[in-house]
Amino acid sequence: MRLAIDRFHLGFLALVAVLFTLALPQVVAAQELSRDEVLTEAAQEIEALTPGTPAEGANAAAGATEATGGYVPMAPTPGKGMPTSYEDDALASMTFQDQYSQDGLYALWMHDYILLPVITAISLFVLGLLFYVIFKFNRRSNPNPSRTTHNTMIEVVWTVVPVIILVIIAVPSITLLARQYEEPPEDAITVKAVGYQWYWGYEYPDHDVEIISNMLTKEQAIASGEGDQYQMAVDNRMVVPAGVPIRLQTTAADVIHAFAIPSLWFKQDAVPGRLNERMLVIDEPGVYYGQCSELCGALHGFMPITVEALPMEEFEAWVVEQGGTIPGAEVAADTEAEATEEAAAA
Amino acid sequence: MAGNVNHDYHILEPDIWPLVGSFSALTFTSGMVLSFYPEQFGAASNIVIWAGLAGLIATFFFWFRNVTMEAQAGDHTPVVQLHMRYGMILFIASEVMFFVGWFWSFFDFALFPDPLAYDAAAGTTTALNTLVGGTEMPKGEFIPQGMEVLDPFSLPLLNTLILLCSGTTVTWAHHSLIHGDREGLKQGLWATIALGALFSGVQAYEYGVAPFGFGGNTYSSAFYMATGFHGFHVLIGTIFLAVCLYRAYIGHFTSRQHFGFEAAAWYWHFVDVVWLFLFIAVYVWGGWGAQYH
Amino acid sequence: MATTADNFVPAPAAQTGGPVDDHHDHKPSFFARWFMSTNHKDIGSLYLMFAIVAGIIGGAMSGVMRMELMEPGIQYLWWFAGSSPEDISAAGHMWNVFITGHGLIMVFFMVMPAMIGGFGNWFVPLMIGAPDMAFPRMNNISFWLTVVGFLSLLFSLFVPGNSIGNGAGVGWTVYAPLSTTGAPGPAVDFAIFSLHLAGAGSILGATNFITTIFNMRAPGMTLHKMPLFVWSVLVTAFLLLLALPVLAAAITMLLTDRNFGTTFFDPAGGGDPVLYQHLFWFFGHPEVYIMILPGFGMISQIIATFSRKPVFGYLGMAYAMVAIGVVGFIVWAHHMYTVGLDVNTKMYFTAATMVIAVPTGVKIFSWIATMWGGSMELKSPMVWALGFIFLFTVGGVTGVVLANGGIDDNLHDTYYVVAHFHYVLSMGAVFSLFAGFYYWFPKMSGKMHSELLSHLHFWVFFIGVNVIFFPQHFLGMNGMPRRYPDYPEAFAFWNYISSIGYMIMAASMLIFFVNIAYAFLAGKKAANNPWGEGATTLEWTLTSPPPFHQFETLPVIEDHHDYHDHRPATA
Ligand code: HEA
Ligand code: HEA
Ligand code: CUA
Ligand SMILES: [Cu+2]
Repeated sequence: MRLAIDRFHLGFLALVAVLFTLALPQVVAAQELSRDEVLTEAAQEIEALTPGTPAEGANAAAGATEATGGYVPMAPTPGKGMPTSYEDDALASMTFQDQYSQDGLYALWMHDYILLPVITAISLFVLGLLFYVIFKFNRRSNPNPSRTTHNTMIEVVWTVVPVIILVIIAVPSITLLARQYEEPPEDAITVKAVGYQWYWGYEYPDHDVEIISNMLTKEQAIASGEGDQYQMAVDNRMVVPAGVPIRLQTTAADVIHAFAIPSLWFKQDAVPGRLNERMLVIDEPGVYYGQCSELCGALHGFMPITVEALPMEEFEAWVVEQGGTIPGAEVAADTEAEATEEAAAA
Repeated sequence: MAGNVNHDYHILEPDIWPLVGSFSALTFTSGMVLSFYPEQFGAASNIVIWAGLAGLIATFFFWFRNVTMEAQAGDHTPVVQLHMRYGMILFIASEVMFFVGWFWSFFDFALFPDPLAYDAAAGTTTALNTLVGGTEMPKGEFIPQGMEVLDPFSLPLLNTLILLCSGTTVTWAHHSLIHGDREGLKQGLWATIALGALFSGVQAYEYGVAPFGFGGNTYSSAFYMATGFHGFHVLIGTIFLAVCLYRAYIGHFTSRQHFGFEAAAWYWHFVDVVWLFLFIAVYVWGGWGAQYH
Repeated sequence: MATTADNFVPAPAAQTGGPVDDHHDHKPSFFARWFMSTNHKDIGSLYLMFAIVAGIIGGAMSGVMRMELMEPGIQYLWWFAGSSPEDISAAGHMWNVFITGHGLIMVFFMVMPAMIGGFGNWFVPLMIGAPDMAFPRMNNISFWLTVVGFLSLLFSLFVPGNSIGNGAGVGWTVYAPLSTTGAPGPAVDFAIFSLHLAGAGSILGATNFITTIFNMRAPGMTLHKMPLFVWSVLVTAFLLLLALPVLAAAITMLLTDRNFGTTFFDPAGGGDPVLYQHLFWFFGHPEVYIMILPGFGMISQIIATFSRKPVFGYLGMAYAMVAIGVVGFIVWAHHMYTVGLDVNTKMYFTAATMVIAVPTGVKIFSWIATMWGGSMELKSPMVWALGFIFLFTVGGVTGVVLANGGIDDNLHDTYYVVAHFHYVLSMGAVFSLFAGFYYWFPKMSGKMHSELLSHLHFWVFFIGVNVIFFPQHFLGMNGMPRRYPDYPEAFAFWNYISSIGYMIMAASMLIFFVNIAYAFLAGKKAANNPWGEGATTLEWTLTSPPPFHQFETLPVIEDHHDYHDHRPATA
């Protein structure tokens, strides 16, 4: 009774004290540790910004492209298309990455302005009620319990109000789904991401380009100016045009993988024997990182995805550099290629 | 359990068979695993499997022997019998869900088939699904071109009739039992068991002459596993009925108390109904339009 | 009516079944008692001990996982794999083995045995006034099948899983084709059989509970007078009975695909890996309610007891659980939003999934309404129950976020999901377990635990698990995928905090064990009803611990026109 409540408070206070003493040094250590890291990172960044360095590093990683010149892997913009560390921006490290597609913006809006407020309010409401009953209806304040066990009105309220809340959530939710499932137009550029244990292959059937994309080692990532993005950076990026619809297809050769880019609100499983397809429009040029998001074996954590969106001309230049063809531009060559492809398929 | 027990429930003495049965099951499954890797484990797996199986059979035997002895001793009061009814019904419900799993995959394959090529001579299947190269999701047929299936209106229809027939014979046995006609009970059971055995024989023969092998493609996988598990249940049901027949001979069952028999009969009807679904879905509908063997 | 349980005088015949070991309350010899048991209380105790051992193993595995994730880079995994620090394949596989083992152990060998096997076995018969379970011998094989299932899972750790290392690294979901063509060693076969064995045990257990609850209620105890814990076990048992066989079929298909050349999930023969996911989640989603419903039941008993007030909206509470159980069967594909479902399917599953928030809300609010106007006493079980209500709500509402198919596109397979399900499991289910444990420990053991240590345990645990799992929401939203042994620098901070939380939580578990030891060694003797007049269910009318065989004369529940008092009328 009284005693129990006292212990309850005492226990709590004692604990908080103990925990703080225990946890503080650790947290401080963490801060310090990461401050050191931030310093080295800053040093790397400066290095990366020195003219010539990124191209050099990137070309070393990208290998073959050096010979033909032209395409230079774009240096990532800090904070764009990648997760944010606590040290860089505490708030940004606690929420979604900035979005660079219209669907992503809509989804983010829905989360930030509908879901998050609603679930926070519900949780705090429940917490508030708990505090209220703890302080109002404990043995000391209320020695004689009531025997109320029914109140139809309130029961109807707590059934109907959640229903209304859910309906309010459902409307934008269904809208979002409908938007995400819009069919790509006929002339959308097809890119096919194929998951392998443990790397990605990107096929551009309209352009006759195929590339294989492997994770950079730590040394390589630092060399290419992507040291901070180690484990997300790759040797050959999936290069796509910005601002135009892409028909992104996924499949896999061995086990299930998932093609995921958090900053584009895009995730699609790559399932052997299935061809999944979804439209993707990237709003602006940039480098967008992602990681395989379906358990696929030992190196599941090490088969990242890097998407580089470029203005159309630069994309086409990249295609040409890769030995591919531009549809429309070289109609003859294209039909020929298609014919051979068909022959191969048959 | 001496004392002042004033209720009709059955309080049991400790029993070793649950422990033996569980470890036998573990031995059996472990032996199965070993047998999957003959290169590593060689023939040792057989010993393990058989040891496990022996333990399991012993468990079943002694467990049910105990149950029947308790029944004879009068421990199975009406409420205890009611427990058993519930238990059996619930067990059958779980079995139904087990078959739901197999039918689910069958219908998935039948309704959303992938394109396959079948080489009848070699009995091999190849996927025409060249997704890693192509960009279209091709459509297929459930039964690959060139693959022959069993004619449902031949032996499977016969088997359907056999099972339906056995459903009536088991009811005959039941009625005889209720009316105190022990000879009728025995005859009905003999007939049911014979029909069950005949069914299994026909099924085994059918597997033997089936124009497609085990596995390799979705049709034959779903076909063999679904009908195979059904066949396994027929076998269990037949053994169950045989035990009842034996008990009928040694004079167990009375016209008022014979739950062991009823459980066997329910199980048999369940097996029968599953077959009807298999026959209609897998044999008739699933093979519709394909080439019959 | 307003009698305390202590002054219930049992009928004369039942009086002999006292704490003193008199002639007919004979206990079997040690081996017979613990290895051949047909006594629901002993089997319940076995289940509880087993669950605690499994919880320690599963918890230790998560400790290794949290230590590994404390900082970027591979720290310890290579050592477990018996390899070198450079070998990230071996480390990666080891990681997968750890998370698989952790997930399976916690789900199948900690929560389920503790809730259903442990508390269900102990208290369903007591609460309905029955002398034992309907099938005492089958009860025992349910337990031993769980044990051998666990052994089979342990075997899998020591045999090859694939060319890289030992153990099954396929996740607790065992998705094909990673678990078929992707894992050619015997480890996965052992893991699959582990589920077969434990699953068989659970199915038998489910039939046993349903039969017991339907047929063995004391005279006068109608379904609508049953304590809510019994209701919760009843609904859970139905979920088990109908969901587990589908899992059994699915994993049998895995086995035959692996070893006998069938192609259920192999596209080379026209099979479909997504089919496996449908079958798995048709089981898997009901499974998550299997893991929480008995917790709901315990929380209802505890809240009513310590508010000294009958539960609010009894019928609504019971049928909310039924509704959760029923709807739980038609929402499974919310785990598969990214596999390539078509838009209509996704819309349907979004809507259906959100529906479950309604009956769950009914439960949350009815608990609060039970306390409203009550005379609450914050004894140890009650603080855990209060913690449960809040943390389960937090976990539940993030579930509602995930339920939105379009939102889940970003969150699926990230740490947001990990945070969600640990809030409902490692906090929801585990808090209810500890609540139930402290509630019934005096009844089961006859000894009182220390209230102080229990409160201390609560607070340290509460802080610990929140520090572990709250930051995981941030990691998930920021894009950290789950099932990763290592991560980019950007995720370092919150992972570090999360691992610190583990250490706090681990300290609390020490307090827990000290508390148990204290209770057994120095605990005060527990009265028949240590919790006072709020405790109205039948188990409190018996001695602590109850006689080896209780209710040899069945209690008769008089019609009080009030289904909240489950005790017999006073003699
Ligand atoms: C005890 C276990 C448990 C419980 C109870 C739940 C409850 C719920 N879960 Fe959770 N879930 C898991 C265990 C559980 N889950 C696990 C283990 C996984 C991951 C499996 C894996 O992939 O490994 C998972 C994954 C998971 C996913 C898939 C995520 C993904 O992989 O992408 C989704 C998506 O819909 C989901 C949704 C829900 C919902 C809507 C509920 C609802 O039942 C919650 C309802 C409760 C509330 C909402 C709170 C109380 C209500 C109120 C206070 C009323 C007012 C509220 C509103 C109006 C919103 N869960
Ligand atoms: C009930 C289920 C349960 C519980 C309790 C826990 C508890 C914990 N889990 Fe677990 N976890 C899962 C189920 C659970 N987990 C599942 C299903 C997965 C997914 C696996 C997969 O991806 O395949 C997962 C994955 C998972 C991950 C993600 C791994 C990854 O994706 O790479 C992490 C990472 O931090 C983690 C950590 C922890 C920690 C630190 C705890 C700590 O809270 C542990 C502390 C220990 C306890 C709280 C147990 C104490 C209980 C007892 C000792 C028994 C008491 C008994 C009685 C009172 C009778 N878990
Ligand atoms: Cu590829 Cu995970
Ligand atoms: Cu679910």
